[in-house]
Amino acid sequence: MFKNNIKIAWRSLKKQPFFTFLNTFGLAIGIAGGILIALFIYDELSYDKMFADAERIYRVDSNIKFGGAEMKSAEAAAPMAATMQRDFPQVESTVRFRNRGSLLLRRTGTETNTKEPRITFVDSTFFDFFGVKLLVGDKKTALVEPNTLVLTKTAAEKHFGVQNALGQSMLLNNTDTYTVTGVIDDLPRNSFLREHSVFMAMSGYADSHDPNWGSNNYFTFIKLIPSANVKDFQEPLNGIVDDYIFPWAQQYFPGMTKESFIAAGNYVNFYTQPLTDIHLYSHRDAEMSANSSIQNVYILAFIGLFLIVLASVNFMNLSTAQSLKRAKEVGVRKTLGSKKLDLIRQFLIESGLISFISLLVALVITLLVLPLFNDLAGKSISLPYSSPFFWGILLLGTVLLGLFSGSYPAFFLSRFMPVKTLKGDTQGTAGGGNIRNALVVFQFAISVFLIVGTIVVYQQLQFIQSKDLGFTKDQILLVDDVFAVGDQTQSFKDEIVALSQVENSTLSFYFPTPSSRSNSSFFPEGSRNQEDALQMQTWYVDEDYIPTMNMDLIAGRNFNTDFPTDSTAVIVNEATLKVLGVGPEEALGMRVSQDVELENPEFNTIIGVVKNFHYESLRENIGSLGLFFGGTSGSLAVKLNPGDFSTTIADIEGIWNKFAPGQPFSYDFMDDSFNTTYEAEQRLGKIFVVFTILSILIACLGLFGLAAFNAQKRTKEIGVRKVLGATVGQITFRLTTDFLKMVGVAILISMPIGWFAMNKWLEDFSYRIEIGWWVFVLAAILAVGVAILTVGYQSIRAAVVNPVKSLRTE
Amino acid sequence: MLLQLNNIFKWVHSGGQRVFLLKDINLEVREGEFISIMGPSGSGKSTLLNVIGMLDTFDEGEYQFLDEPVHSLKEKYRANLYKEYIGFVFQSYHLLDELTVKENLEMPLLYKKLRGTERKAMVADMLDRFNIVGKKDLFPAQLSGGQQQLVGVARALISNPKLILADEPTGNLNSKQGEEIMELFKELNDEGVTIIQVTHSEKNAEYGSRIINLLDGRMI
Repeated sequence: MFKNNIKIAWRSLKKQPFFTFLNTFGLAIGIAGGILIALFIYDELSYDKMFADAERIYRVDSNIKFGGAEMKSAEAAAPMAATMQRDFPQVESTVRFRNRGSLLLRRTGTETNTKEPRITFVDSTFFDFFGVKLLVGDKKTALVEPNTLVLTKTAAEKHFGVQNALGQSMLLNNTDTYTVTGVIDDLPRNSFLREHSVFMAMSGYADSHDPNWGSNNYFTFIKLIPSANVKDFQEPLNGIVDDYIFPWAQQYFPGMTKESFIAAGNYVNFYTQPLTDIHLYSHRDAEMSANSSIQNVYILAFIGLFLIVLASVNFMNLSTAQSLKRAKEVGVRKTLGSKKLDLIRQFLIESGLISFISLLVALVITLLVLPLFNDLAGKSISLPYSSPFFWGILLLGTVLLGLFSGSYPAFFLSRFMPVKTLKGDTQGTAGGGNIRNALVVFQFAISVFLIVGTIVVYQQLQFIQSKDLGFTKDQILLVDDVFAVGDQTQSFKDEIVALSQVENSTLSFYFPTPSSRSNSSFFPEGSRNQEDALQMQTWYVDEDYIPTMNMDLIAGRNFNTDFPTDSTAVIVNEATLKVLGVGPEEALGMRVSQDVELENPEFNTIIGVVKNFHYESLRENIGSLGLFFGGTSGSLAVKLNPGDFSTTIADIEGIWNKFAPGQPFSYDFMDDSFNTTYEAEQRLGKIFVVFTILSILIACLGLFGLAAFNAQKRTKEIGVRKVLGATVGQITFRLTTDFLKMVGVAILISMPIGWFAMNKWLEDFSYRIEIGWWVFVLAAILAVGVAILTVGYQSIRAAVVNPVKSLRTE
Repeated sequence: MLLQLNNIFKWVHSGGQRVFLLKDINLEVREGEFISIMGPSGSGKSTLLNVIGMLDTFDEGEYQFLDEPVHSLKEKYRANLYKEYIGFVFQSYHLLDELTVKENLEMPLLYKKLRGTERKAMVADMLDRFNIVGKKDLFPAQLSGGQQQLVGVARALISNPKLILADEPTGNLNSKQGEEIMELFKELNDEGVTIIQVTHSEKNAEYGSRIINLLDGRMI
């Protein structure tokens, strides 16, 4: 019986190749989209779960407000780890990371450096804490001694390979000598350590032993004992503020009490961040590696679910649309004794068969587009061929999808009365129109919503690209690692500026694109009150910084090498004036100090005020910032004249090779580096586009099928109208407008939802666009246009049919 | 002369062979005639009617309608011709189910680009003439078969055609309803409308002034 069912199902699919194609294709696209998104989400959720005891590991975060600045830090003070280990019995072990950014590395005795993007000091507990195994070396001793380091396999292979690594001597930044004491495997792509390649022993870093509670520079991880509950932990954790931080702070701020601290609106709060949540939930000031957001996961899950529902809806629409053709078959079967249940089974088997074929097609599609998708999503996902779980879910999902999609058509078709259908009376078979129409409205509402989303995301990105940032990011080349030049930086800079295509250049660690940051507390002259404290970005720059970056001075003057006193001068931004409560001209000559000692402090005099410029992403408001004179190394920003940059870059590289032979020459364009700040948005934008197109495609398939069905259903009416004098144009118009009404309803439904959702998304940006009415008009025009193209074909086809055919009664 | 068919042939290909639907049909129809086409099933009655109504084409021969050579006219011009001069009545009425009686009657006028007031007047006229004013807001499903066909005839007549083509107009009706429709045709014919009907019934054929017998596409 079952075999017979399958055979008949197969034949009836073959009999209607066009509908079978539409059905299969639509479902396959939906399933493929679903698989891709599921793999993406699975990958996003898998972050950091591979580490031993990952569920017991937490990071100590802090929210601090002091000196007018608020920090949401992912780092803690140096003594935090040891204190917790000592005071809290729940803490089993701890480990700290102190990031050093990117550094140059070479084997002692060789000339050529490699650039390692992420280098960090780490406590020797690292291996046991995360369950990281050494390929060579002993985990008990590997990072105990100062000036020892452990490399990843890839980093080791650049210099001497894994087997010869032990005991090798290496030079960091051409100055510090380290001994290799171990090699670990490359760290998993889906871990927070993915970019780290060199781990240096923390014991050699003096600051890590300092009982300084005032600066938070250590990523501090704790592992709780299995029986501990992290909730019991919050209170003792905040007890650290009373027990350690205030006693420490009172050494520097005599008379400061907890009460006065709180009264000034300040706070220090500690939190425990579960390791496995960091990737999706943590968005703190300085993360160890770029995190994703749960919001994106939700958005994608939503889109994925919709894709599958859309495809399933299509299936229902197309299947019931064929009902006129199948009605007679149902009639014959029923008169021959088939029960309703048999028919339901037959139709379900058919839809199951289609689902299964679609699954195969979907797998092929997935394989084909996976590289593109990886590129789009910034991942390297592959199909988990060997996972029985994956195949199980896939098969189960397909069966469920087949049942779900097939159920409505099956019950719908099997209900037909044989007497009617055999007489050719199709009135009863055309029912369910409202459901079908509602389904199409639903599909188009989603499509319009996605179109609106796409436009808004792209508009915001456009806005970011073109916003007046307060500096010019275009045509600026950033030459990295200038410290490789040694003490010749000035001559290096001079030679580059002498190039004809170079307009200007400046040397600094600090740029308004992702680069170093440094934050310090200042006090206005004569005050040590916490209320007056000024928390300010402290950037060291040279006299060419403001002209090269094309920033505007709204008061005062730039640094000048002719004024010896400029070494203690500061140029502040407008945001600082707000905190100080003075106007631009008033501020000139004001003095601020970093020193906590009241006796003979060293002052910085404000000599200029620079217009606010965006030094963080446009998601953030602009905070206080001071430019100090003294940029001596870091990156050289070279402002180029318009033209062909390649020869200039070659010239600069030539100069580099003269000054720093054997050192890797690496550069970025500032606008590229600026764009990386918005990578997540750009990715979201692209993903939006792709899935918008997919959902429109699926919706169109559905509409196409429904239009075909409708044309069939209305054959008689079309015939009568034509005989009575209607032209092809009139009929086409009539058939098409019916569908456009549905699209119109869809547009009306999706607009308020789109407006609301996209405004919610935009709220993440401190600087953002307003959603214009034209966005909705454009989305509506697109949806209507696509619908006309889809339905128009079917309508014209139906309209040109000779009425003699449609009105034949025998 | 209303229309003239000369040596009309129509065929289809089936299994590599030509199957003739109409074979050498020669027919002259004068204004005011009432012709009945008879013959067994499959003899080509409906096909002939459709050819005359210009809904269907033919493969060979000449067809003059009001001295216009239909065989060499363009599709669009042909459509204008039948829209203007021919009304159709069907066996299964072919009223549109979702339109009321009044709206069904109005439909042909919509396609003639008449003004609203004009259309209303013509519809009212026709409702009056056929005594169905009370049913103007009913849907076809709410009418008996005879009443539906009455509306069908009224719809065919509303644009004042010279020729009515009726394909078994009483086929779905009982004898009493059928008789009423035939009486109506008779009256219309007396008023000067030319009618060509296809029928199986000898009795209905008698209403006509001339009978044409078809067998296997050929006039006998």
